[in-house]
Amino acid sequence: MLWLYLHFPHLLLDHLRRSHEHQRALVIVEGVGHKVIQACPIAKEQGVQAGMRLKTALTLSPELHIVRADEQQEARILEDQARWLYRYAAYIVPVPPDGILAEIGSLEKLYGGLPAVWQTVEQGLNERQLNAWIAIGHTPLSARLIARTGQGECSSDAGHIKRTLSQISLFEAGFEDKTCLRLQRLGLNTLGEVFNLPPAELAKRLSPEVLARIQKIQGTRPDPLTPWQPAHRFHQQADFVQEIEHSQGLLFPLQRMLQELEDDLCWRQQDTDSLLLILHHRHQEPTRLRIRTSGPEHRAEAFLKLAQIRFEQHPLRAPAMALILSVKRFIGREAPGDRDLLGDTQDLNEAWHTLISRLQARLGSESLTHLSPQADHRPERAWSASDIVRKPNRIPPGEPTQLLRRPLWLLKGPQPLTETPATWFSGPERISGGWWDGERVHRDYYIAQLQTGQLAWVFHDAQTGWFVHGWFG
Amino acid sequence: MSNILNTLMQEDRVWQGRRHRQSSQPAEPTGYQVLDNQLGGIGWPRGALSECLLDVHGIGELHLMLPLMKTLSSNARTVFLLNPPHTPYAPALAREGINLDQVILVHTDNEGDFLWTLENCLRSPVTGLVMAWPGKLMSRDIRRLQLAAEAGSNVCVLFRQRRYADQNSPAALRLDLEPDQHQNLNIRIVKRRGSWPGQHCSLTMAHRADLSFSETPQVVQGPWPDAGR
Repeated sequence: MLWLYLHFPHLLLDHLRRSHEHQRALVIVEGVGHKVIQACPIAKEQGVQAGMRLKTALTLSPELHIVRADEQQEARILEDQARWLYRYAAYIVPVPPDGILAEIGSLEKLYGGLPAVWQTVEQGLNERQLNAWIAIGHTPLSARLIARTGQGECSSDAGHIKRTLSQISLFEAGFEDKTCLRLQRLGLNTLGEVFNLPPAELAKRLSPEVLARIQKIQGTRPDPLTPWQPAHRFHQQADFVQEIEHSQGLLFPLQRMLQELEDDLCWRQQDTDSLLLILHHRHQEPTRLRIRTSGPEHRAEAFLKLAQIRFEQHPLRAPAMALILSVKRFIGREAPGDRDLLGDTQDLNEAWHTLISRLQARLGSESLTHLSPQADHRPERAWSASDIVRKPNRIPPGEPTQLLRRPLWLLKGPQPLTETPATWFSGPERISGGWWDGERVHRDYYIAQLQTGQLAWVFHDAQTGWFVHGWFG
Repeated sequence: MSNILNTLMQEDRVWQGRRHRQSSQPAEPTGYQVLDNQLGGIGWPRGALSECLLDVHGIGELHLMLPLMKTLSSNARTVFLLNPPHTPYAPALAREGINLDQVILVHTDNEGDFLWTLENCLRSPVTGLVMAWPGKLMSRDIRRLQLAAEAGSNVCVLFRQRRYADQNSPAALRLDLEPDQHQNLNIRIVKRRGSWPGQHCSLTMAHRADLSFSETPQVVQGPWPDAGR
């Protein structure tokens, strides 16, 4: 088996930097906050280095942004990386806090050689603006050690890997200080020198754990790893160093996240119709914005437009510290049905969804309604307004001759009739019902023309008098 | 007329303004032959605004649109009703053979949303017809809508008050609607692009309530016992 290891020397830094349009000096400090552990190129230009005391760094660069390292956050970011790498390799294992292992021996044939695999991974890293040191080894541990020294090369030659490995010092190889000291007293400084000793000798002088580790590096002892499985949902988080005050500023990080969503959906061959955006604020409850499309959608551009409309309608309540994009509902992608082969005709179905989604995003989904007749004798109950649902291939009902003559306008509620109609036409038509649900109606309907020339649908209720209920528009 | 003029006319050497009427403006027939004749034989202009000016509802203004709504909705084009003053009554629309799946009712809260919605509907290729009841419209808003209408190719009818007849409007067609005592709808063309205004016609709208005037009214008994008679 051949293993590929990605070591992210400053993952948190990369993650934070790509969410901002305008770059400023940025450092990551350790949990207690005294020491710089990662510094961005701009900070480095100003003389800040990893390992420096924070006070020194601040003197060098007064406008420095400081972010405290957070293990949970790092683990989450690492998992994000595992998610996209999963598209290229089936057997991957995240190694917290800063590495991912992938089995690539089985991929060589698929990609057409080791260099192609290497290139694919590098391209994936570039697209995501990430820095990683890549290395290949025959055992997981050997790949990891080489990657961490930054000497990885695209070669599966056992001799070459062994040579690189044997030059690694014992400190770099991750042994405990006590063990290192003990080995140094024996005159051993590099891994190569330890490898040259007979195992029996090692076992005698060192603890079984150290021997096991050495054997795992060499590959003489099995090192089983559980493969990682991606969750069946999409989740991305952008953290902002500087709080974002205007919703327009959210569009830049959102665009990149939506692009990743589009890629993800493309790989899944699925669509979605509902996105959840969560904005974290410093002192307030997070804002949750749900963006719905009227039909299945996968294009980042379409989502972005809807989000833009949404942001215009709902200004930020408070500055945002983090933006989360989450998608849980996936819909199988359907082949576009009525598009012709050359794509000459416009896809009306898609245009329809775009339009309705736009309108719903701005006006709210309850502002758009479909009308439909209902089976009830009472005029105010004989129709209903329902949410917009696309029924693409429904055959329109045939000539409904059995329906009665009704006015095209129905008033929102009956209006009292204030004048004597000029002419009476037909009537009465008695409508009586509703005894079953308590909204009893007992009316005689007439068609009459008013002085203004309007043709009205008026009724007489035995108890309350005369009312206009509709206009023959 | 002098002989020379006569000769010129007969030999068809002079371009006459009358021919301009046969412009190839894209349009949808109104479904009323009488009105179509007045509108240069073509009907509702597409890709332009039309205005219907009327003071009261219930004079047959929806019936004027019904043939077009019916054609478009059965051709899978969407019909938008934007801020109608009353509820379009679904059973009546269904009875007229309109595919209600294609009819979308939109309500907006403010003028900004109204214009935005109308513009978006007009620019979309799925829209067949937009019927809108705006409140007050500024002249520059109408111009903005006219531009949006030109970007699409659908029919857009704005229903406005008759007092706006004097207001300058970039709409391609403006009709003044007035009822008479015999259920007819008198239509006067206030403006038509590429032609002279002022034509009249009268459409019979009695069928909208199944009334026919040869018969005596069918009221069984005078239903106005105390107030009227």
